[in-house]
Amino acid sequence: MQHKFTPRTRMFNLINDDASLLSSVSRFGISLGLGEKTVEEACKLNNIDCTTFLAVMNFLAEENVQPDDLVEKISIETVIGYLKNAHVYFLNYKLPIIREKLNDAVSETEHLHSYKVVLLKFFDEYVEEVAKHIEYEDKTVFPYVINLLHGVRNPAYRIADFEDHHTDVDSKIAELKNILIKYHPTEEVNYRLNDVLLELLWCEKDLASHNMVEDFFFVPVVELIENKLSNTTMA
Amino acid sequence: MTDVIIKIAIVDPSSIIRSGLSVILKRLQGYHVHTFELNSLDFLASNIRTQQPDLVIVNPTYWGVVDIENLKQLTKNSVIRFFALITAAVDEKMLEAYDEKIHLYDDVESVKLKLDSVFDVLESENEESQTLSPREKEIIVGVVKGFTNKEIATNLFLSTHTVITHRRNIARKLEIHSTAGLTIYAIVNKLVELNDIKQR
Repeated sequence: MQHKFTPRTRMFNLINDDASLLSSVSRFGISLGLGEKTVEEACKLNNIDCTTFLAVMNFLAEENVQPDDLVEKISIETVIGYLKNAHVYFLNYKLPIIREKLNDAVSETEHLHSYKVVLLKFFDEYVEEVAKHIEYEDKTVFPYVINLLHGVRNPAYRIADFEDHHTDVDSKIAELKNILIKYHPTEEVNYRLNDVLLELLWCEKDLASHNMVEDFFFVPVVELIENKLSNTTMA
Repeated sequence: MTDVIIKIAIVDPSSIIRSGLSVILKRLQGYHVHTFELNSLDFLASNIRTQQPDLVIVNPTYWGVVDIENLKQLTKNSVIRFFALITAAVDEKMLEAYDEKIHLYDDVESVKLKLDSVFDVLESENEESQTLSPREKEIIVGVVKGFTNKEIATNLFLSTHTVITHRRNIARKLEIHSTAGLTIYAIVNKLVELNDIKQR
Protein backbone atom coordinates (compact mmCIF):
# COMPACT_ATOMS: atom_id res chain seq x y z
CA MET A 1 0.00 0.00 0.00
CA GLN A 2 1.17 3.51 -0.81
CA HIS A 3 1.84 5.65 2.26
CA LYS A 4 2.25 9.33 2.88
CA PHE A 5 5.88 9.20 3.99
CA THR A 6 8.61 7.05 2.47
CA PRO A 7 12.29 6.41 3.35
CA ARG A 8 13.18 9.16 0.89
CA THR A 9 10.92 11.84 2.41
CA ARG A 10 13.00 14.66 3.82
CA MET A 11 12.67 14.89 7.60
CA PHE A 12 12.05 18.60 7.21
CA ASN A 13 9.00 17.94 5.05
CA LEU A 14 7.67 15.30 7.41
CA ILE A 15 7.71 17.66 10.39
CA ASN A 16 6.60 20.64 8.33
CA ASP A 17 3.65 18.68 6.99
CA ASP A 18 2.25 17.87 10.41
CA ALA A 19 3.86 19.61 13.38
CA SER A 20 2.16 17.27 15.81
CA LEU A 21 4.53 14.57 14.57
CA LEU A 22 7.43 16.44 16.11
CA SER A 23 6.87 14.97 19.57
CA SER A 24 6.79 11.48 18.07
CA VAL A 25 9.97 12.13 16.13
CA SER A 26 11.67 13.12 19.39
CA ARG A 27 10.46 9.96 21.09
CA PHE A 28 12.41 7.95 18.57
CA GLY A 29 15.49 9.87 19.70
CA ILE A 30 15.79 12.12 16.65
CA SER A 31 16.56 15.75 17.46
CA LEU A 32 16.17 18.95 15.51
CA GLY A 33 18.88 20.35 13.24
CA LEU A 34 18.05 17.82 10.57
CA GLY A 35 19.38 19.67 7.54
CA GLU A 36 18.40 18.00 4.29
CA LYS A 37 18.41 14.49 5.75
CA THR A 38 15.89 11.99 4.51
CA VAL A 39 13.98 9.71 6.85
CA GLU A 40 16.28 6.85 5.91
CA GLU A 41 19.43 8.86 6.65
CA ALA A 42 18.14 10.22 9.95
CA CYS A 43 17.13 6.75 11.11
CA LYS A 44 20.49 5.26 10.16
CA LEU A 45 22.34 8.01 11.96
CA ASN A 46 20.33 7.45 15.13
CA ASN A 47 20.29 3.65 14.91
CA ILE A 48 16.55 3.40 14.50
CA ASP A 49 14.69 0.79 12.50
CA CYS A 50 13.45 2.85 9.57
CA THR A 51 10.48 0.59 8.72
CA THR A 52 9.13 0.90 12.24
CA PHE A 53 9.71 4.64 12.37
CA LEU A 54 7.82 5.14 9.12
CA ALA A 55 5.04 2.78 10.11
CA VAL A 56 4.38 4.84 13.26
CA MET A 57 4.63 8.17 11.41
CA ASN A 58 2.27 7.03 8.67
CA PHE A 59 -0.08 5.54 11.23
CA LEU A 60 -0.25 8.91 13.01
CA ALA A 61 -0.40 11.06 9.88
CA GLU A 62 -3.01 9.05 8.04
CA GLU A 63 -5.12 8.51 11.16
CA ASN A 64 -7.03 5.34 11.84
CA VAL A 65 -5.08 3.10 9.53
CA GLN A 66 -4.25 -0.42 10.54
CA PRO A 67 -0.66 -1.53 10.14
CA ASP A 68 -0.94 -3.67 7.02
CA ASP A 69 1.56 -5.81 5.20
CA LEU A 70 4.29 -4.16 7.26
CA VAL A 71 3.23 -5.93 10.42
CA GLU A 72 5.75 -8.71 9.83
CA LYS A 73 8.64 -6.27 9.56
CA ILE A 74 7.90 -4.08 12.57
CA SER A 75 10.63 -4.05 15.22
CA ILE A 76 8.67 -4.41 18.40
CA GLU A 77 11.71 -3.41 20.51
CA THR A 78 11.76 -0.11 18.65
CA VAL A 79 8.06 0.42 19.33
CA ILE A 80 8.55 -0.34 23.03
CA GLY A 81 11.45 2.11 23.20
CA TYR A 82 9.24 4.72 21.56
CA LEU A 83 6.35 4.11 23.96
CA LYS A 84 8.67 4.20 26.99
CA ASN A 85 10.09 7.54 25.89
CA ALA A 86 6.54 8.84 25.58
CA HIS A 87 5.85 7.70 29.14
CA VAL A 88 8.89 9.55 30.47
CA TYR A 89 7.91 12.61 28.49
CA PHE A 90 4.38 12.77 29.92
CA LEU A 91 5.20 11.84 33.49
CA ASN A 92 8.53 13.54 34.07
CA TYR A 93 8.28 16.49 31.74
CA LYS A 94 4.92 17.59 30.38
CA LEU A 95 2.56 17.00 33.27
CA PRO A 96 4.84 18.62 35.92
CA ILE A 97 5.16 21.67 33.67
CA ILE A 98 1.40 21.96 33.22
CA ARG A 99 0.91 21.66 36.97
CA GLU A 100 3.39 24.43 37.61
CA LYS A 101 1.74 26.68 35.05
CA LEU A 102 -1.69 25.92 36.44
CA ASN A 103 -0.42 26.79 39.90
CA ASP A 104 0.96 30.10 38.64
CA ALA A 105 -2.10 30.98 36.59
CA VAL A 106 -4.64 30.86 39.41
CA SER A 107 -4.05 33.74 41.76
CA GLU A 108 -3.77 33.14 45.46
CA THR A 109 -6.40 35.59 46.65
CA GLU A 110 -8.46 34.73 49.68
CA HIS A 111 -11.48 34.19 47.49
CA LEU A 112 -9.79 31.70 45.18
CA HIS A 113 -7.77 29.81 47.72
CA SER A 114 -10.18 26.88 48.14
CA TYR A 115 -10.72 26.70 44.41
CA LYS A 116 -7.02 26.46 43.78
CA VAL A 117 -6.61 23.71 46.35
CA VAL A 118 -9.27 21.45 44.83
CA LEU A 119 -8.22 22.25 41.27
CA LEU A 120 -4.64 21.15 41.93
CA LYS A 121 -5.94 18.14 43.83
CA PHE A 122 -7.90 17.15 40.75
CA PHE A 123 -4.82 17.52 38.62
CA ASP A 124 -2.70 15.45 41.01
CA GLU A 125 -5.28 12.68 41.03
CA TYR A 126 -5.24 12.71 37.27
CA VAL A 127 -1.44 12.46 37.16
CA GLU A 128 -1.63 9.58 39.63
CA GLU A 129 -3.95 7.74 37.25
CA VAL A 130 -1.63 8.32 34.33
CA ALA A 131 1.29 7.11 36.45
CA LYS A 132 -0.57 3.93 37.38
CA HIS A 133 -1.38 3.22 33.76
CA ILE A 134 2.22 3.81 32.73
CA GLU A 135 3.65 1.71 35.55
CA TYR A 136 1.46 -1.21 34.54
CA GLU A 137 2.76 -1.01 30.99
CA ASP A 138 6.41 -0.59 31.96
CA LYS A 139 6.39 -3.31 34.61
CA THR A 140 3.95 -5.87 33.22
CA VAL A 141 3.18 -5.40 29.54
CA PHE A 142 6.60 -4.57 28.11
CA PRO A 143 8.53 -7.31 29.97
CA TYR A 144 5.89 -9.80 28.84
CA VAL A 145 6.34 -8.73 25.22
CA ILE A 146 10.16 -8.79 25.46
CA ASN A 147 9.97 -12.38 26.76
CA LEU A 148 7.61 -13.18 23.92
CA LEU A 149 10.25 -11.99 21.46
CA HIS A 150 12.67 -14.46 23.00
CA GLY A 151 10.13 -17.20 22.50
CA VAL A 152 9.10 -17.32 26.16
CA ARG A 153 5.38 -17.17 26.64
CA ASN A 154 3.86 -16.45 30.04
CA PRO A 155 0.79 -18.68 29.82
CA ALA A 156 -1.03 -16.65 32.47
CA TYR A 157 -1.02 -13.49 30.38
CA ARG A 158 -2.28 -12.38 27.00
CA ILE A 159 -1.94 -9.00 25.35
CA ALA A 160 -5.75 -8.94 25.29
CA ASP A 161 -5.54 -8.49 29.10
CA PHE A 162 -3.73 -5.24 28.40
CA GLU A 163 -6.71 -4.02 26.45
CA ASP A 164 -8.88 -4.60 29.50
CA HIS A 165 -6.58 -2.52 31.67
CA HIS A 166 -6.29 0.22 29.16
CA THR A 167 -8.86 2.65 30.46
CA ASP A 168 -8.91 6.01 28.76
CA VAL A 169 -6.47 8.15 30.67
CA ASP A 170 -7.23 11.04 28.40
CA SER A 171 -10.90 11.31 29.40
CA LYS A 172 -10.03 12.92 32.72
CA ILE A 173 -7.91 15.64 31.19
CA ALA A 174 -10.91 16.40 28.98
CA GLU A 175 -12.96 16.80 32.15
CA LEU A 176 -10.45 19.26 33.60
CA LYS A 177 -10.66 21.21 30.34
CA ASN A 178 -14.47 21.25 30.58
CA ILE A 179 -14.34 22.41 34.18
CA LEU A 180 -12.01 25.29 33.37
CA ILE A 181 -14.11 26.38 30.39
CA LYS A 182 -17.44 26.17 32.21
CA TYR A 183 -16.79 26.81 35.88
CA HIS A 184 -13.61 28.81 36.33
CA PRO A 185 -14.59 31.68 38.64
CA THR A 186 -12.87 34.50 36.79
CA GLU A 187 -13.45 38.21 37.05
CA GLU A 188 -10.98 39.17 34.37
CA VAL A 189 -9.35 37.78 31.26
CA ASN A 190 -6.48 35.57 32.28
CA TYR A 191 -4.04 34.98 29.42
CA ARG A 192 -1.87 32.72 31.50
CA LEU A 193 -4.81 30.46 32.25
CA ASN A 194 -5.68 30.41 28.55
CA ASP A 195 -2.15 29.25 27.84
CA VAL A 196 -2.52 26.43 30.35
CA LEU A 197 -5.83 25.48 28.77
CA LEU A 198 -4.29 25.36 25.30
CA GLU A 199 -1.42 23.30 26.61
CA LEU A 200 -3.92 20.93 28.22
CA LEU A 201 -5.73 20.57 24.92
CA TRP A 202 -2.50 19.78 23.16
CA CYS A 203 -1.54 17.28 25.84
CA GLU A 204 -4.98 15.66 25.61
CA LYS A 205 -4.50 15.14 21.87
CA ASP A 206 -0.97 13.89 22.35
CA LEU A 207 -2.08 11.35 24.95
CA ALA A 208 -4.99 10.25 22.79
CA SER A 209 -2.72 9.55 19.84
CA HIS A 210 -0.26 7.79 22.15
CA ASN A 211 -3.11 5.52 23.21
CA MET A 212 -4.05 5.01 19.56
CA VAL A 213 -0.54 3.76 18.84
CA GLU A 214 -0.83 1.36 21.75
CA ASP A 215 -4.28 0.05 20.88
CA PHE A 216 -4.15 -0.08 17.12
CA PHE A 217 -0.50 -0.48 16.35
CA PHE A 218 1.29 -2.13 19.25
CA VAL A 219 -1.42 -4.55 20.40
CA PRO A 220 -2.23 -6.02 16.96
CA VAL A 221 1.47 -6.60 16.24
CA VAL A 222 1.93 -8.34 19.60
CA GLU A 223 -1.20 -10.41 19.01
CA LEU A 224 0.35 -11.60 15.79
CA ILE A 225 3.53 -12.71 17.57
CA GLU A 226 1.42 -14.45 20.21
CA ASN A 227 -0.49 -16.38 17.58
CA LYS A 228 2.65 -17.33 15.73
CA LEU A 229 4.25 -18.58 18.92
CA SER A 230 1.30 -20.70 19.97
CA ASN A 231 1.14 -22.16 16.46
CA THR A 232 4.79 -23.22 16.52
CA THR A 233 4.57 -24.70 20.02
CA MET A 234 1.56 -26.70 18.95
CA ALA A 235 3.27 -27.95 15.80
CA MET B 1 -28.09 21.90 24.37
CA THR B 2 -25.32 19.39 24.80
CA ASP B 3 -23.92 17.45 21.88
CA VAL B 4 -24.34 13.71 21.93
CA ILE B 5 -20.86 12.22 22.00
CA ILE B 6 -20.57 9.01 19.99
CA LYS B 7 -17.73 6.77 18.95
CA ILE B 8 -18.16 5.22 15.54
CA ALA B 9 -16.13 2.48 13.89
CA ILE B 10 -16.29 2.57 10.08
CA VAL B 11 -15.45 -0.75 8.46
CA ASP B 12 -15.13 -0.77 4.69
CA PRO B 13 -12.38 -1.83 2.30
CA SER B 14 -12.50 1.49 0.44
CA SER B 15 -10.57 4.31 2.07
CA ILE B 16 -12.42 6.84 -0.10
CA ILE B 17 -15.74 5.66 1.28
CA ARG B 18 -14.45 5.47 4.87
CA SER B 19 -12.95 8.95 4.81
CA GLY B 20 -15.97 10.42 3.04
CA LEU B 21 -18.40 8.96 5.55
CA SER B 22 -16.16 10.10 8.39
CA VAL B 23 -16.26 13.70 7.12
CA ILE B 24 -20.06 13.61 6.81
CA LEU B 25 -20.48 12.21 10.31
CA LYS B 26 -18.30 14.91 11.82
CA ARG B 27 -20.50 17.57 10.23
CA LEU B 28 -23.70 16.37 11.86
CA GLN B 29 -25.33 18.95 14.05
CA GLY B 30 -25.96 17.92 17.63
CA TYR B 31 -23.30 15.22 17.57
CA HIS B 32 -19.70 15.16 18.60
CA VAL B 33 -18.41 12.20 16.61
CA HIS B 34 -15.16 10.28 16.99
CA THR B 35 -14.52 7.88 14.14
CA PHE B 36 -12.20 4.94 13.75
CA GLU B 37 -11.58 3.55 10.30
CA LEU B 38 -10.92 -0.12 9.77
CA ASN B 39 -10.01 -1.53 6.38
CA SER B 40 -10.90 -5.09 7.24
CA LEU B 41 -13.04 -7.10 9.63
CA ASP B 42 -9.94 -8.65 11.23
CA PHE B 43 -9.42 -5.97 13.82
CA LEU B 44 -13.08 -5.19 14.48
CA ALA B 45 -13.37 -7.56 17.45
CA SER B 46 -10.34 -6.12 19.26
CA ASN B 47 -11.45 -2.63 18.30
CA ILE B 48 -14.84 -3.20 19.91
CA ARG B 49 -13.19 -4.48 23.07
CA THR B 50 -10.70 -1.63 23.44
CA GLN B 51 -12.62 1.31 22.07
CA GLN B 52 -16.17 0.37 23.01
CA PRO B 53 -17.71 2.18 20.05
CA ASP B 54 -21.38 3.14 20.28
CA LEU B 55 -21.93 2.41 16.63
CA VAL B 56 -20.31 0.23 14.00
CA ILE B 57 -20.97 1.09 10.36
CA VAL B 58 -19.90 -1.86 8.31
CA ASN B 59 -19.92 -3.10 4.74
CA PRO B 60 -22.38 -6.00 5.14
CA THR B 61 -21.27 -8.15 2.20
CA TYR B 62 -17.66 -7.56 1.26
CA TRP B 63 -16.30 -10.14 3.69
CA GLY B 64 -19.33 -12.44 3.61
CA VAL B 65 -21.89 -12.35 6.40
CA VAL B 66 -20.88 -10.29 9.43
CA ASP B 67 -21.57 -12.14 12.67
CA ILE B 68 -23.28 -9.27 14.45
CA GLU B 69 -24.75 -11.29 17.31
CA ASN B 70 -21.28 -12.45 18.24
CA LEU B 71 -19.75 -8.98 17.98
CA LYS B 72 -22.46 -7.54 20.21
CA GLN B 73 -21.33 -9.84 23.02
CA LEU B 74 -17.94 -8.15 23.11
CA THR B 75 -18.95 -4.94 24.84
CA LYS B 76 -19.59 -5.12 28.53
CA ASN B 77 -21.89 -2.37 29.60
CA SER B 78 -23.11 -0.36 26.66
CA VAL B 79 -25.43 -1.18 23.83
CA ILE B 80 -23.62 -1.26 20.54
CA ARG B 81 -25.48 -0.52 17.29
CA PHE B 82 -24.74 -1.78 13.82
CA PHE B 83 -25.51 0.07 10.60
CA ALA B 84 -25.04 -1.56 7.22
CA LEU B 85 -23.13 0.58 4.75
CA ILE B 86 -24.69 -0.27 1.42
CA THR B 87 -22.60 0.40 -1.66
CA ALA B 88 -24.05 -2.24 -3.99
CA ALA B 89 -27.19 -4.33 -4.41
CA VAL B 90 -27.67 -6.49 -1.33
CA ASP B 91 -30.02 -9.31 -0.46
CA GLU B 92 -32.38 -7.81 2.15
CA LYS B 93 -32.11 -11.02 4.18
CA MET B 94 -28.48 -10.24 4.94
CA LEU B 95 -29.49 -6.95 6.56
CA GLU B 96 -31.97 -8.20 9.09
CA ALA B 97 -29.56 -8.05 12.02
CA TYR B 98 -28.69 -4.39 11.42
CA ASP B 99 -30.29 -1.49 13.27
CA GLU B 100 -30.22 0.77 10.21
CA LYS B 101 -28.86 1.05 6.69
CA ILE B 102 -26.83 3.87 5.21
CA HIS B 103 -26.78 4.06 1.44
CA LEU B 104 -23.94 5.41 -0.65
CA TYR B 105 -26.13 8.25 -1.92
CA ASP B 106 -27.73 9.27 1.37
CA ASP B 107 -27.51 12.99 2.04
CA VAL B 108 -26.30 14.46 5.32
CA GLU B 109 -29.83 15.07 6.57
CA SER B 110 -30.95 11.48 6.13
CA VAL B 111 -27.80 10.17 7.80
CA LYS B 112 -28.62 12.44 10.73
CA LEU B 113 -32.19 11.15 10.90
CA LYS B 114 -30.90 7.59 10.99
CA LEU B 115 -28.60 8.39 13.88
CA ASP B 116 -31.40 10.27 15.63
CA SER B 117 -33.57 7.18 15.37
CA VAL B 118 -31.21 5.10 17.52
CA PHE B 119 -29.48 7.63 19.73
CA ASP B 120 -31.52 9.36 22.33
CA VAL B 121 -31.11 12.93 21.18
CA LEU B 122 -34.51 13.96 22.48
CA GLU B 123 -33.12 14.05 25.97
CA SER B 124 -30.47 16.59 25.09
CA GLU B 125 -32.44 18.42 22.45
CA ASN B 126 -35.27 19.54 24.65
CA GLU B 127 -33.79 22.63 26.15
CA GLU B 128 -33.72 21.33 29.68
CA SER B 129 -32.03 23.71 32.04
CA GLN B 130 -28.51 22.83 33.04
CA THR B 131 -29.09 24.21 36.50
CA LEU B 132 -29.35 21.74 39.29
CA SER B 133 -32.37 21.12 41.47
CA PRO B 134 -31.98 21.64 45.24
CA ARG B 135 -32.08 17.87 45.68
CA GLU B 136 -29.27 17.39 43.18
CA LYS B 137 -27.20 19.97 45.04
CA GLU B 138 -27.72 18.07 48.29
CA ILE B 139 -26.48 14.95 46.59
CA ILE B 140 -23.37 16.67 45.26
CA VAL B 141 -22.58 17.83 48.78
CA GLY B 142 -22.85 14.24 49.99
CA VAL B 143 -20.63 12.90 47.23
CA VAL B 144 -18.03 15.59 47.72
CA LYS B 145 -17.93 14.98 51.47
CA GLY B 146 -17.05 11.40 50.71
CA PHE B 147 -20.30 9.60 51.58
CA THR B 148 -21.25 6.46 49.71
CA ASN B 149 -24.44 6.28 47.65
CA LYS B 150 -25.99 4.23 50.42
CA GLU B 151 -25.07 6.76 53.11
CA ILE B 152 -26.41 9.62 51.01
CA ALA B 153 -29.63 7.70 50.48
CA THR B 154 -30.05 7.11 54.21
CA ASN B 155 -29.29 10.72 55.11
CA LEU B 156 -31.77 12.12 52.58
CA PHE B 157 -34.44 9.41 53.07
CA LEU B 158 -34.10 8.23 49.48
CA SER B 159 -33.51 4.86 47.89
CA THR B 160 -30.00 4.08 46.66
CA HIS B 161 -31.47 3.67 43.22
CA THR B 162 -32.81 7.24 43.29
CA VAL B 163 -29.42 8.56 44.38
CA ILE B 164 -27.78 6.79 41.46
CA THR B 165 -30.32 8.27 39.05
CA HIS B 166 -29.65 11.74 40.46
CA ARG B 167 -25.92 11.23 40.09
CA ARG B 168 -26.34 10.23 36.48
CA ASN B 169 -28.39 13.37 35.80
CA ILE B 170 -25.83 15.53 37.57
CA ALA B 171 -22.99 14.08 35.50
CA ARG B 172 -24.94 14.75 32.33
CA LYS B 173 -25.95 18.30 33.22
CA LEU B 174 -22.52 19.40 34.42
CA GLU B 175 -20.40 17.20 32.16
CA ILE B 176 -18.46 16.22 35.24
CA HIS B 177 -18.09 12.54 36.02
CA SER B 178 -15.47 12.29 38.74
CA THR B 179 -15.74 13.09 42.42
CA ALA B 180 -12.68 15.33 42.18
CA GLY B 181 -14.43 17.26 39.41
CA LEU B 182 -17.62 17.60 41.43
CA THR B 183 -15.54 18.91 44.31
CA ILE B 184 -14.29 21.77 42.16
CA TYR B 185 -17.85 22.54 41.10
CA ALA B 186 -19.06 22.48 44.70
CA ILE B 187 -16.30 24.82 45.88
CA VAL B 188 -16.84 27.28 43.03
CA ASN B 189 -20.57 27.36 43.72
CA LYS B 190 -20.08 27.52 47.48
CA LEU B 191 -22.00 24.32 48.15
CA VAL B 192 -19.22 23.25 50.52
CA GLU B 193 -16.24 24.72 52.33
CA LEU B 194 -12.73 23.37 52.08
CA ASN B 195 -12.98 22.17 55.70
CA ASP B 196 -15.99 20.00 54.86
CA ILE B 197 -13.91 17.98 52.43
CA LYS B 198 -10.82 17.60 54.53
CA GLN B 199 -12.69 15.92 57.38
CA ARG B 200 -12.81 12.58 55.60
